[in-house]
Formats: sequence, C-alpha cells, structure tokens
Amino acid sequence: MEAKTEYEYLVPPDEYLAAGVHIGTQIKTGDMKKFIYKVRPDGLYVLDIRQLDERIRIAGKFLARFEPSRILAVAARQYGQKPVMMFAKAVGADYVIGRFVPGTLTNPMLKEYREPDVVIVTDPAIDRQAVQEATAIGIPVVALCDSNNSASNVDLVIPTNNKGRKALALVYWLLAREVLKNRGVEEFPYKVEDFEAEL
Amino acid sequence: MSVEVVDMETRCVTCGANLIGTNYVAFPCPECGQMIYRCKKCRKLANPYKCSNCGFVGP
Repeated sequence: MEAKTEYEYLVPPDEYLAAGVHIGTQIKTGDMKKFIYKVRPDGLYVLDIRQLDERIRIAGKFLARFEPSRILAVAARQYGQKPVMMFAKAVGADYVIGRFVPGTLTNPMLKEYREPDVVIVTDPAIDRQAVQEATAIGIPVVALCDSNNSASNVDLVIPTNNKGRKALALVYWLLAREVLKNRGVEEFPYKVEDFEAEL
Repeated sequence: MSVEVVDMETRCVTCGANLIGTNYVAFPCPECGQMIYRCKKCRKLANPYKCSNCGFVGP
C-alpha cells in the first residue's frame, strides 16, 4: 500500500488560520475564483491556504531571481506599511509606503524617481497607480490579492487576505524568509511580531 | 547591404501575438526561470499564461 505524503506547510496551518489569511470578502471575482476554497453561510468567501502556501514559495523563488535593490514593495494601506518596510529591510529591497507619487516609475525629473525590475503591491486596487506605472514601463507585478481583487495587469497573484493586520504581517514575513532562503541565506533573525503594524 | 536579424521568438505565450516595442512584459517564470512574454492585452484581461518548460499557470 502506498503511503500518502502529506503536504508540508511553511508554518503550521493553525498559524495561518489564527492570522486570518484565509478570510476573504463577500465579493468574488472571476480571476480569484480558482483560489477560493468555500463560501461561508454568511456569504464570506474563504481562500485556500494550501494555494497561498504554494504561491508564497513560488513568489519567494521569483523575487530571489532579481537584484535586491531592484525590487520595489508598495503599500498604501495602513496595516501594510510596517510589513512592507520590514520586508524591504529584510531582503534589501526598496519600498514606497503611503501615497505613491504619480511619476515615481515614469518621470525621471522627480526626486522620488526609481527604476525597479519588479514591483510587489499589497492591494492592486489601492496601489493601482503603482500597477499602472509598472505596466507602462514593462516590469512584472506581484500582487497580494483578496477574493474581491482583479488580476488585471498582475503577473503573479498571492491569494491572501490583504486587509488584516496579522495576515499582512504573516504573509510578508513568510515572503521575506522565502526570498532569503532562495538566495542561500539560512539565517532569518525576525519574528512575525516584528512585521505587525501597531494598532 | 546588411541584413537585420529579426527575433521571431518574441511572441505572447498566451495569444501568440508578435511582440514589438514596449507593448509587453518579459519576466522569468516564477517556477523554473524560463522567460515568459505577455502582451499588454493579455495582461490587462488577466488571461492565464502557461510556462512551456514547467507548466506553471499564472497569474
């Protein structure tokens, strides 16, 4: 009889559930349909944590292929700002938090101007300026998408709750750890709590 | 007279459209690293792409 090999998560599934990464919204888009596990009786869509785990691994592998300073992490959302800052610090990337000044990627006259090779956004709907500019200059976009997001102009979707404080902290923490692991750095001195935004 | 070599390989992996100028994005496959080309239209419509090397389906 063949022994079933169990899938090994990056962190125990309970930790994912405690952070609420699986909690979606009451809206479902066609692009996110394949990442939805079930719909709760109250109409809330629940995301599949297995697919999230796989996507974090893939995104880690993907981002590790780029030069650290050429990765740009973006978060306009309040709860995404600290995780993004910590992610950028951990992997040596660049970041933009708060307002994304139009022209940051397209206007060399601006003092905020930068030339990344890849952009990671916390919410493609809120960070749409960053997505638009990345599209204009022809660089790939990695996005943390909830059940209500569209995957338009996104090249790699990470299906997760992108609104929760703990969810964002856990996802960025795992992503940073995966990127460093793929670069061959085993030491990761940060804890999930270091990535959490203050209440 | 010199003959220019035209790169015929640069096609959108989803729709097969010829990619000219800056109307596309190129990036290594997230799974295996093989180059993936997506045209602007397929990106905008979020049409799925498949890596010819490893079979990874995105976005």
